[in-house]
Amino acid sequence: MTIRNPIGDHGQRYRPRMACLKKAEKVLLEMQDPKSGVKSQPQRLVITTIPHAIAGEDIVAWLEERFQIDAQEARAFGSMLVSLGYIYPLIHHKRLVIKPDASLYRFQTPYFWPTQQLPVEDTDYAIYLAKRNIRKKGILELHEQEQYNRIHKWMNHKWDFIVMQAKEQYRAAKERKKPDRVVFECQERAYWVVHRPPPGTVSSMDYGLERRVDPNSVETKTPDFYERIMIFTQQSIMRPRVKSSVALGALVKYCTTYQSHDPFLSTVLPSNPWLTDDVTLWTLNMLTAEIPTRMRVEKWTFSFGELLADPRGRDDFRLFLKKEFSSENLAFWEGCEDLKWGTASTMKEKAEHIYKTFLARGAPRWINIDGKTREITVMALRHPHRYVLDAAQSHIYMLMKKDKYGRYIKSPVFKDMSKRAIDPVEQNFTDAQLEHNARNRRPCPSPIILQKQEEERKAKLAASAPVDITQLCRFTTPVPHLAVYSGIIDSPSATASPSLPFLTHTPACPSPISVALDSTSASERRVEAGEGEREGNPETRPLSGGNVSKSRMTLSLRRLLKRGCTPSTMFASLSPKCHSAAGTSSRIQPISPDQPSQAPPRRFGNFFQIRVDIPPECRIYPIESEDEDEENRSASRAGVEAKEIICPWESLTPQNGTG
Amino acid sequence: MGKEECKTMLDALNKVTACYRHLVIALGSTSDSQNLREELKRTRKKAQELAVANRTKLTSLLKDKTISKEDRAEYERLWVLFSSSMDLLEVDMKRSLEIGQDFPLKVPTRHLIQTGMTGSTTTVAARAMSVQNMKYEADSNIDTADLRDLQTEITQVTQMVEEMEMKVQVAPWAVEAKQEAGAELKSNMSVGNSSVGVISMCEEEPKEEEGGGGSGGSSLAPVCAVFVFLVIIMVAAVLGYLVINMS
Repeated sequence: MTIRNPIGDHGQRYRPRMACLKKAEKVLLEMQDPKSGVKSQPQRLVITTIPHAIAGEDIVAWLEERFQIDAQEARAFGSMLVSLGYIYPLIHHKRLVIKPDASLYRFQTPYFWPTQQLPVEDTDYAIYLAKRNIRKKGILELHEQEQYNRIHKWMNHKWDFIVMQAKEQYRAAKERKKPDRVVFECQERAYWVVHRPPPGTVSSMDYGLERRVDPNSVETKTPDFYERIMIFTQQSIMRPRVKSSVALGALVKYCTTYQSHDPFLSTVLPSNPWLTDDVTLWTLNMLTAEIPTRMRVEKWTFSFGELLADPRGRDDFRLFLKKEFSSENLAFWEGCEDLKWGTASTMKEKAEHIYKTFLARGAPRWINIDGKTREITVMALRHPHRYVLDAAQSHIYMLMKKDKYGRYIKSPVFKDMSKRAIDPVEQNFTDAQLEHNARNRRPCPSPIILQKQEEERKAKLAASAPVDITQLCRFTTPVPHLAVYSGIIDSPSATASPSLPFLTHTPACPSPISVALDSTSASERRVEAGEGEREGNPETRPLSGGNVSKSRMTLSLRRLLKRGCTPSTMFASLSPKCHSAAGTSSRIQPISPDQPSQAPPRRFGNFFQIRVDIPPECRIYPIESEDEDEENRSASRAGVEAKEIICPWESLTPQNGTG
Repeated sequence: MGKEECKTMLDALNKVTACYRHLVIALGSTSDSQNLREELKRTRKKAQELAVANRTKLTSLLKDKTISKEDRAEYERLWVLFSSSMDLLEVDMKRSLEIGQDFPLKVPTRHLIQTGMTGSTTTVAARAMSVQNMKYEADSNIDTADLRDLQTEITQVTQMVEEMEMKVQVAPWAVEAKQEAGAELKSNMSVGNSSVGVISMCEEEPKEEEGGGGSGGSSLAPVCAVFVFLVIIMVAAVLGYLVINMS
């Protein structure tokens, strides 16, 4: 083998290689040598004699001699030559093997040698079948008949051409002398036996998908060629490399961890259904099983990926996160997965939905990712594609893995689950029982039903809106009894502008914002949403549907801010229950769900001490100027979470002057 | 009319393509020779001329917007015929280049594949060129010199095919063939008769070949027998009439 290409086979596209073809051709040429090649004899037919027939035993003997191999290998080699189509048998033309006796073979003409550059066309096959039809007066073999009909159906537009060409070729063939005509017909038949094998014949030319480039051709050194080599080597350099000791260590660790879980390597606990026909294992381990088995629970401790991959584990984790009030992370991660693997038509809506729910400033289930990632993601969302949320997703994944996963494993939720896990007992069946099982085999549940169940589950999950704390900025800690209605955005239309503007304060002390008012109507929310006010640029307001009230609210708010008054009266109007709360201190107070936020309006600047970034315009999509620098605004903002909160300076009734 | 011209030209191209294929099949085998190379070259040239002529004619016909729908369908059908011929020609030319390079003629030890074909292909070439006898006047290094020409011609043909696909807006799959399945059996039965039953193809088919031959011959015999019978009946009728009249 010559070292022609030291970089190696850098074309996955070159496969499948049939490098044997060029080598076989060389062997064929050697066989032709009149002195040292294979002896040929004439073939005697009824009237004529056709030269150049070779006996099988001669071929085998020659191969043995030439390559110094034993008879069996020579036979195998010879059969390979026949099955590739370089030599064809004269008798039993469908059996492509070499018989080491006096049966005759002949060499195939180079036109009919197998190549990979030019694919074998159905058109040619159709022409051949048509010619055969003419010759045999319409009596074709069964598989040929089927192929004929098939081609007639699928290549109907070329059928005229096929018929014309067949007739012409037939007539042209008759111009040759008789023996040559015979030989030609044999050759053509042999060619098509190799390339369109009759049922039951195995042809070596069945190599799978076609490739566009000949693996054996010498590539001309164009600039394109060199560019490809350069890219390939650059990528090879950039590939991350791992020390073999590290890699081997990881492999060993993997094997030892997973060995007991592998049903091939260790016994599966109730019993292996394939062996005993008893499906307990599968029913216990169904995706929707209420109580998982011990092995399954153990698998969740192996890695975070395992936990997430198992739907039951994911459910458990979701429960845990709900208790910890950080289930938006998992929801975001799931949303990203959904986006990645979903259909292309729903991609845009999904991306928007995720943005509205998780990423936008003031989103109900705001996730905590760093500013840089957020910027990048938000920029990329202008042109959403499948992987647009990848960076954010990895960030959240790492967050969950490093922080929450460890806590989950140590949490009472998990411990409880481990205790409850089923420990199936090994079933030892007697022979009679095995027979009984075999008789009672049932088909597995229909995939349609399974899919429906899955969809129902998902719908149920979506409908039961998980309650979690949202709008916690970096500085807050979750307060367990603070339940905020996060408002699962099942109906995005209900929230006209879910990206709520936030007014941040100088963070004197952070405070949880929220007020959970389940009964807040959509309009109320919109009203509250409308306050996104900031000193400075009140001009650009989103004017989405139904925002007239919002703008009114913002105007009033602006006025309020300018006036700088403390709208304690507003408080009074807003909070029928706790009037006295108006004057309470600015400290954070745990707020029960049915009370409005009571932060005293001591100073507008410290009203809601939440540092959250908001765009001056409460837009949903980051279409226009996203590049706001937060620093300029942090000084003069008051953070409000609109949907949940009844902002103190906004009233449910537009009483502070709408005009 | 344009259509008839087109059809005759397409028939000619078809014939030349078929003959070219036969010639290329003989390449590299023991029936290869100087003459064969020359035949290939001439046939190829003729095919190209025909192709260019066909193309100009058909494109001009197809560009004409004033033709009726049936006419247009017919021209599209002819166009599909033409482009399929060109595809075949292109493939055959590429193959002949390859094989020609692998089997040069003017080397001291030449190894042509012993395929069993020993006759010459003169008659095929004569059919292609539509002449009675082929005259050979090429020089001895035709096999190598021709290959360069062949390469350029292949690129030309490839370009032409690509151009055709780009410029002419014909959807090939929309064309409906006029012939139905088995149409090749209908005409040229005369061709079928003379070919059948003379020789066995390969040893395993002697019986069916001769059976086929017998039946082929016999398809003529009943016809003749019927004809003769009718003639006899007619003569008998006439004689009977005369007899009756006479008597």
